[in-house]
Amino acid sequence: MPLPLHAERDPLRPMLWTTAAFVAAALLNADRIPLWATAVLIACAAWQLSVAAHKLPALPKAAQLILTFVLVTCVVATFHTLNGLPAGTVLLVVMGSIKLLETRSRRDRYIVIGAALFLLLAACLDRQALLRLPLYLGEAGLCCTALVVSAYGGAGLDIRLAGILAARSLLLALPLALVFFLFFPRLPGGFWALPASDDAVTGLGESMSPGSISQLTTSYEPVFRVRFAGAIPAPQERYWRGPVLHDFDGYTWRHGPGGAYRQGPLRYLGEPFRYSVTLVPDANRWWFALDTVVGSPDKHVLFTYDYALIARDPVTQPTTYAAVSYTHTESSEALSNIARKMESALPPNRNPRTRELAARLRAGAPADADFVRAVIDYFRSGGFQYSLTPPMLDFNSVDDFLFHTREGFCGHYASAFVALMRAGGVPARVVTGYQGGEWNPIGGYFLVRQSDAHAWAEVWIDGRGWRRVDPTAIVAPERLSRGILDILPNAVSGSTRLLYSTPLLAHLLQGWDALNTAWNEHVVKFDVNTQLGILERLGVRSADWTALVAALGSGLVGWLAWIAWHIGRSAGPRPADRLARAYARLCKKLARAGIARDASEGALAYGARILSSRPDLAPRAQPLLRRYANLRYAPMSAEAATAATAAFERMVLRLQLARRPR
Amino acid sequence: MKRLLRARIASWARRRQGADVLPVTMHYRRIYILPTRAGWGFAFLLFCMFVAGLNYSNSTALFMTFWLAGFVLVGLHRCHRNLMGILLQGASAVPAFAGGMGQLELTLENPAPLLRLRIEADLPGVAPNVTDIAPRSAARLNLAVPTTVRGRLLIDGLRLTTALPFGLFRAWTWVYLPLELIVYPRARGLLPLPTVAGATPGARVRGGAGGDEWLGLRAFRDGDSPRQVAWKAYARGAPLLVKEYCAAAAPERHFDFERLPQLGTERRLEQLAAWIVDAENRGERYALALPGGTLALDRGAQHRHRCLSALALHGLGPARHATAIAR
Repeated sequence: MPLPLHAERDPLRPMLWTTAAFVAAALLNADRIPLWATAVLIACAAWQLSVAAHKLPALPKAAQLILTFVLVTCVVATFHTLNGLPAGTVLLVVMGSIKLLETRSRRDRYIVIGAALFLLLAACLDRQALLRLPLYLGEAGLCCTALVVSAYGGAGLDIRLAGILAARSLLLALPLALVFFLFFPRLPGGFWALPASDDAVTGLGESMSPGSISQLTTSYEPVFRVRFAGAIPAPQERYWRGPVLHDFDGYTWRHGPGGAYRQGPLRYLGEPFRYSVTLVPDANRWWFALDTVVGSPDKHVLFTYDYALIARDPVTQPTTYAAVSYTHTESSEALSNIARKMESALPPNRNPRTRELAARLRAGAPADADFVRAVIDYFRSGGFQYSLTPPMLDFNSVDDFLFHTREGFCGHYASAFVALMRAGGVPARVVTGYQGGEWNPIGGYFLVRQSDAHAWAEVWIDGRGWRRVDPTAIVAPERLSRGILDILPNAVSGSTRLLYSTPLLAHLLQGWDALNTAWNEHVVKFDVNTQLGILERLGVRSADWTALVAALGSGLVGWLAWIAWHIGRSAGPRPADRLARAYARLCKKLARAGIARDASEGALAYGARILSSRPDLAPRAQPLLRRYANLRYAPMSAEAATAATAAFERMVLRLQLARRPR
Repeated sequence: MKRLLRARIASWARRRQGADVLPVTMHYRRIYILPTRAGWGFAFLLFCMFVAGLNYSNSTALFMTFWLAGFVLVGLHRCHRNLMGILLQGASAVPAFAGGMGQLELTLENPAPLLRLRIEADLPGVAPNVTDIAPRSAARLNLAVPTTVRGRLLIDGLRLTTALPFGLFRAWTWVYLPLELIVYPRARGLLPLPTVAGATPGARVRGGAGGDEWLGLRAFRDGDSPRQVAWKAYARGAPLLVKEYCAAAAPERHFDFERLPQLGTERRLEQLAAWIVDAENRGERYALALPGGTLALDRGAQHRHRCLSALALHGLGPARHATAIAR
């Protein structure tokens, strides 16, 4: 049943709030909707507000239909589908904008507010950053206020009151939300697959061409965070392994054509390091682990023959995994022929001078280990310079680097070193990944950024296995112990430099990062195991889902009781004092017996009327009425009045009159 | 179907509650509450958010879902409370001529320190009306009741409703008061006013607005029309005075049912009603004779009402034989 139409006398204010709620919800997704959709949204909102303010005529129905058709076609043309989160979001924005144009009634406005809440959901599904949380909460408040204004319709409602009403209701709902959030049993997996993200792949690539880069753009974006349980490796041991590159064409290193080989068993040396890594979603499939991880942390992640971790699906959500690694290993098994051939391959007819150099050095070092040392010495004394802005290299990139430019970053050194090794007959490969990481003392974890990206080498020594050699560390040892900012302040943009070189700001940034990490670990990653953990900390032994349901149920019942009491207590009409309450009860009893007091009738007049029209009630009613009049109007001391009132109350309570059917 | 169901529920509630006596307090036991269409829509939306949040293990979406669900439940209580504790202090029915609009005047009191938003009153087949009630104050709410035939119109199924604050729930209560609206016969007839019987020619009769000769001022009495009050004098500080005019030789009229034999009963009543209205407008004194009894010579609003009521109830039994409003 619709509410009366005259409530719609002034549609401008409800329209304004509804539009605001919808536009704000759409803007929460602004970075994922194309510019034209945003333009359509703003245009529709402005048009509709002008209509509501009687400045413009309403758009005709036919024009709306054509607009709908055109815009849906645009969405299909942009996304080639209407399914999935990105296309669905844009479709919702577009359809909601058109709905705005034809919004007249309360029902229309509710639909628009519903669309706004769906857009809020889309934003939540897409991004759960802590920074966005206030926006989400604010949008929920805005939608609820729009609900009040819409339900009221028309002017006359104090807008502050509407806001306070919505905000207080949301505040009262908060305990329930927390109880449900904590104890509503989560699913271990989903009903259906996560939506695939179509974001561009960034971060570490699966190939490396040092010669083609003349300026390494260093981004300060975080890649992953590591929290160690127990021992922490020394700074010079913090190598985070990513893709391993085997295949060299003289200019570019690649992960390889896929010619994998079986790797013999490893003997782990030294202390194990136990830690957990939380990846920042970047749509890559690589999972990072400290140097040599002992196995795959997840059944959907492949542990490769070169000790890297590749996930089946790209990382689109913050992902946390626990791993155990060693920084030193040994393998006594011989490298198979296929493996030796693959890890020693160099393209023929390329980099001839490198081959010459390798042959010369090799001549003086018959043992592999000696050759490695000789090449290291060459790098140390060859006048090489660490630079993030090296000149471009020509076709024979290693030759050009070793004998001409002598200036480069980690990729150049790793590339040249491995090429020299291979030319000298020692199996070697390039490992890419990250090195180091910034310790966050507030959060107690290491933060690894894009600027920590690194490339180093691994060489095979018979009887000892793969050994890590970092030629960059030989040329620029400070690169390992200090951040990139210290050694090359110009590597990052001015504003980032300013931010991170001011101690106070840097500290604040670290605090913010720690807060974000806690948010991601405790809230975003909240799952059924965390739930059971909370129950166990609360003292429930061997908690399972029934305990969760019990906690949920008691929380719900408790909250409902509290809310009913809290809200209900302010509504009841409260007579001023005890005497008035007792008198009201007396009048009620008399009314039930068939003779009700008139609103204008005093107690004594009432008694007189009872005597004349219902003499059967008078003997019991009249003394009480007289007593009331006395108590109310005769002068009396406070104590006497209290005692007499109590006596009157008791008498009224005891009074029993037969019900007279009316 | 829906209407039938509503009537069934209303009659069940009536048996449950019994009849009411003024003042009626909106106690929680007599308030019913159900989700509105928007409320069901909102529930569907929450369900979608819930499934999506659970499926994608998305904490933010789940938290939003639970939070909004809590908000809805708070809204349920707030809607209930918006009605709870209101007092219906007065309800009176203002008569009307058949075919015209009667009025039901309700006085709602809000004894609590909270603002009541959009309290709506309606009757079956009657356009609803809404009002806000400020904290600790009262508000008037009038319903225009359409009438068809003369007699008593039983006002049944009075309902107070609110969907505020969020429009997701609608709380309502039925009030069963023995309210009757007197419907006068339609005032129409072609016959001229009957000629004066026993009036002294040239006698001066005090009259109201109908007269044209200035007579003087007299003190205000209950029942005097505000139009006759000497407001200018009152503004100068004088007590409330009423301007009196006299109609030269204003006649006295005797309206007799039995003297209209050529018409049917209803037409006679209509003719008599027309005469009464006419005579009252002219400021004349008139008497009414019906088979059941007579009303002596008089004039004024009260007399007019008594006469017209007698016409309205002519031939009808005592109360309880009223026609219910057509549903």
